[in-house]
Amino acid sequence: ENREAMLNSKSNRLTEALEEANRLFDGVCRAREAALDAQFLVIASSIGKEKANELHSEMSAFDSTAFAEDLLTFMGINRTEVEEADDSEDVPGGFLPSDAWQTVGEEALKYFRRAPTFHYMMGSFKSEPPVPKQRIERQKKASRGKAERAMPAQLKKMEESHQEATEKEVERILRILQTHFEDDPNTPISFFDFVIDPNSFARTVENMFHVSFLIRDGLAKIKLDEDELPIIEPTKPSGEGEEDSRAGARNQVVISLDQKEWK
Amino acid sequence: QVSELVQFLLVKDQKKIPIKRADMLKNVIREYKNAYSEIVNRAGRTLQEVGGARQGNGRVLGGHTPRALTLFLLQVFGLQLVEIGIKPHTYILINNLPRAEGECLCRDKEKEKMGLLLVILSFIFMKGNSVKDSALWEFLHLLRVYPGKQHRVFGDVRKLVTEEFVRQKYLEATPIPLTDPPEFKYQWGPRAEKEISKKDVLNFVAKIQAKDPTFWASQYSEAEAKP
Repeated sequence: ENREAMLNSKSNRLTEALEEANRLFDGVCRAREAALDAQFLVIASSIGKEKANELHSEMSAFDSTAFAEDLLTFMGINRTEVEEADDSEDVPGGFLPSDAWQTVGEEALKYFRRAPTFHYMMGSFKSEPPVPKQRIERQKKASRGKAERAMPAQLKKMEESHQEATEKEVERILRILQTHFEDDPNTPISFFDFVIDPNSFARTVENMFHVSFLIRDGLAKIKLDEDELPIIEPTKPSGEGEEDSRAGARNQVVISLDQKEWK
Repeated sequence: QVSELVQFLLVKDQKKIPIKRADMLKNVIREYKNAYSEIVNRAGRTLQEVGGARQGNGRVLGGHTPRALTLFLLQVFGLQLVEIGIKPHTYILINNLPRAEGECLCRDKEKEKMGLLLVILSFIFMKGNSVKDSALWEFLHLLRVYPGKQHRVFGDVRKLVTEEFVRQKYLEATPIPLTDPPEFKYQWGPRAEKEISKKDVLNFVAKIQAKDPTFWASQYSEAEAKP
């Protein structure tokens, strides 16, 4: 029970306890007592090991209290204002701003080699599939153009469903694109008309993400029209000519769209 | 077809839970078999053009594979697939390089968690690579983070630290024998070992405390010793 007390490096309690155990053992003649003695030894050695660990830390002169205070400073604590006192006295007074942990986070990101996570995939099931904005003349053909909606009947495992959802979305978008083109092969579709969902910025970003897969796999391509605006069209299926169709310049394009622009 | 395997990996990686080789093979093996020869060819060409890219030291998916896959992930996404466990074969995706300044595409939540994690990893390292849970919470207490109290930023912090970070392999929790109620000791998990170095962590501590890393002699030599 006195583990903490024994751990204190200045304490000799562990040694004293061991000595007493030794004395007592002389009087042992029953198995039960011997078992107790053994148990005591196990606990004692475990405490001993911990003490050794503590010693190591002390030698390295790391002061965690000072580290904590310096961290709070880094986070932007305002020490002139004193918050309502907490129960504990060792919590320093001061007002911690709401972005305190973001500040540390920004710094932390510089050190971690963490693979970025693609969060917008998570949104695939929430609302209905996107309806790409159509030109007014095409509205009669719109119903033909809509592919079947992705039907996520059950979510067996979240991860698998998300992967399927992405694949389905990409396929669905490809079909929409191809159908538009069957109807009217000579009128290209404005890229922005295609991806923008007038009702949802998040949807728009997702559409752009899915279209990027089509582009990367060579199933669709983006060109600039006479007005220097991007247009999108499906590529013709080429059979073995895949290498040739990719001989066209592979460029990397970064499109940025913020909510204001989207509006 | 390669992109499907890659997609699978990226989706799996969202939660930062390690990916088992069996899952990888189960999900993409058919596409993968078809594309295998093409992948190898393309990888071979790329390798020639680039003159050999840096490959991770982790084994990937066993003998006959995916130097191609590794290469693809590296070149297209700048990601490395790294093995962190053998029984069963388990992998994580990490970035080839740390993120450049101002490049973060992640949400605030992720940022804040990484901040907390770095602080915890620093504490563990500076205290000799292993700390008791009580010591950890005592330290976090100083930063206004309490296990029993809902945190304004982190919510259920106890859950975040003892479950989420452990599940993601950032931390490793081991029960201390013969403690009642059971206590745990915390160490760096295999993901932490791969995603960040002791040197980085020491530099972080040094920056926060406005001291030279050499101030802490034993930690400094330990950090320098790591390859």
